Amino acid sequence: MKLLHEPLSGRSQAVLGVVGVIGTAAVWEGLIRSGLLDVAGLPLPSGVISGVGDLLPDETFWDAVLFTLGEWMLGLAIATGVGVLLGGLMGAFRSLFVAFEWPVEAFRVLPSVAVGPILVLLIGQGMLPLALTVALSCIWPILLNTMYGVRGTDTTAVMTAKTFGNSDLAVLRKVKIPSALPFAFTGVRIAASIGLLVAVSAELLIGGGDGIGGYILTNTANATDLDLVYAATLVAGVLGVAVNLAMAKVDDVVFGWKKGLAQ
Amino acid sequence: MTETRVTENPVPRAASPAAGSAELLLDGVSRSYGDNLAVRSISAEVPASKISVIVGPSGCGKSTLLRIISGLDEPTAGRVEFEGVPVKGVPEGLAMVFQDYSRSLFPWMRVDKNVAFPIKHLPAKERAERVRFAIEEVGLSGKEKLYPWQMSGGMQQRVAIARALASHPKLLLMDEPYASVDAQTRADLEDLLMRIQSELGITVLVVTHDIDESVYLADRIIVLSAPPSVVAEVIDVDLPRPRDHIATKTDPRFVEIRGHVTRLLRSKEHATPV
Ligand SMILES: Nc1ncnc2c1ncn2[C@@H]1O[C@H](COP(=O)(O)OP(=O)(O)OP(=O)(O)O)[C@@H](O)[C@H]1O
Ligand SMILES: [Mg+2]
Repeated sequence: MKLLHEPLSGRSQAVLGVVGVIGTAAVWEGLIRSGLLDVAGLPLPSGVISGVGDLLPDETFWDAVLFTLGEWMLGLAIATGVGVLLGGLMGAFRSLFVAFEWPVEAFRVLPSVAVGPILVLLIGQGMLPLALTVALSCIWPILLNTMYGVRGTDTTAVMTAKTFGNSDLAVLRKVKIPSALPFAFTGVRIAASIGLLVAVSAELLIGGGDGIGGYILTNTANATDLDLVYAATLVAGVLGVAVNLAMAKVDDVVFGWKKGLAQ
Repeated sequence: MTETRVTENPVPRAASPAAGSAELLLDGVSRSYGDNLAVRSISAEVPASKISVIVGPSGCGKSTLLRIISGLDEPTAGRVEFEGVPVKGVPEGLAMVFQDYSRSLFPWMRVDKNVAFPIKHLPAKERAERVRFAIEEVGLSGKEKLYPWQMSGGMQQRVAIARALASHPKLLLMDEPYASVDAQTRADLEDLLMRIQSELGITVLVVTHDIDESVYLADRIIVLSAPPSVVAEVIDVDLPRPRDHIATKTDPRFVEIRGHVTRLLRSKEHATPV
């Protein structure tokens, strides 16, 4: 694939993006309407859009969206707290790294959604088991990125802090953690997209009918309005893109200094 | 140590170790990395409130020696004393300007925060005053809010020097501080160092492989041989101060000492194989 050499202006990027989306939807619509593509259950883009129109005034749908958002954010927050702490400690202390390297490798490959039913058994229904399921899948990129960030702290920066009389712990706090934060945040960004996916999947699998997943379940069970189901999925996707954009912005503003990190 | 080869106008050898004003004492310091003997039994004295310069060929263990003096590393044999106390860990009142200054500055801190790094414990007002003074000393007023990576190499180096100054060190160690700046900036930074040293009366130990620079800056030059290094000679430089890039460097005495150091570094038994 040929890479773009000249960066496009923000404006033409936005225009091209919109053209791409509309074009794809139009071709899709055309394929179905012309009868070239004839599979039951495939949505018409125009139908999905009017589905979104139907969703917007629907309060139960907004409750579901808010629930999913809350569950996702709670899970991400837990994962961030625990992941940065554990990753930071594992990066800073060799003994902890050696002790936890294999447990981390083992837990990392467990599909978190499979742990969900056990969590429900242990703590009952509600947002918490769902959020914990999200946290279980989100923690790994955060933990690993933080760990490698801390371990990769520039040795000259560390020696500098030491020559100014800082103890190992002070060096960790003043130098290693700050210099690892952009890496940790990259972990959070990766985790955020995984988290939304897992949040909705967990609602579908172990949820009590709450959230976007619950909403989708209820409406497919009734099989009344598939367009509504696709519309709900679309809204979830748009949410994900919006959060990703917001985080990219935060990355730019807060961690713009990472340009200055030595290679 | 070797015999001095200059016959007329002998270059003065350093006074015997009896002199009482030694701030820093190296006694038989060696450091090996596995089988590689990087530094072989270095003994020397660094006088208080003076500029001493270690000069030696690349790879002769200058950075290793500075790491040992600063307590970041330990010698495999011998000992280091700072103000009469054996160095164990980083001694108080030390500041080091690293060879790799761009990696020594913290990229997430603006210039003023970098300079304030060693004096976080001071009250805000005194801290701000010291930061302002140090930044002014190195001629970077107005650049406080830049990030180091937005600056040129020479400016970054001055930030590193300002940070060291802000900590009010008793002993300032500098590892090839001017190796990667242009000739004019280098000359300016050399003069800056001498001015600050005489204003604050601190003890300075500079490492360089530039012979001109060593003679120009030094009250005392410690010449190291090629690895595994030993002290080839310790020379007390009697050029008058304040020094000047044109007047001092054309002084016959300067030319003589420079020639002497050059011969020391070139001499057979210490020559680096190229
Ligand atoms: N961490 C280390 N591990 C193994 N060997 C090392 C280490 N640090 C230095 N050495 C070795 O010690 C010797 C001296 O290195 P050092 O960096 O002190 O030299 P230097 O005089 O500062 O050189 P330069 O002028 O190029 O900066 C070299 O042979 C080098 O390979
Ligand atoms: Mg060196």
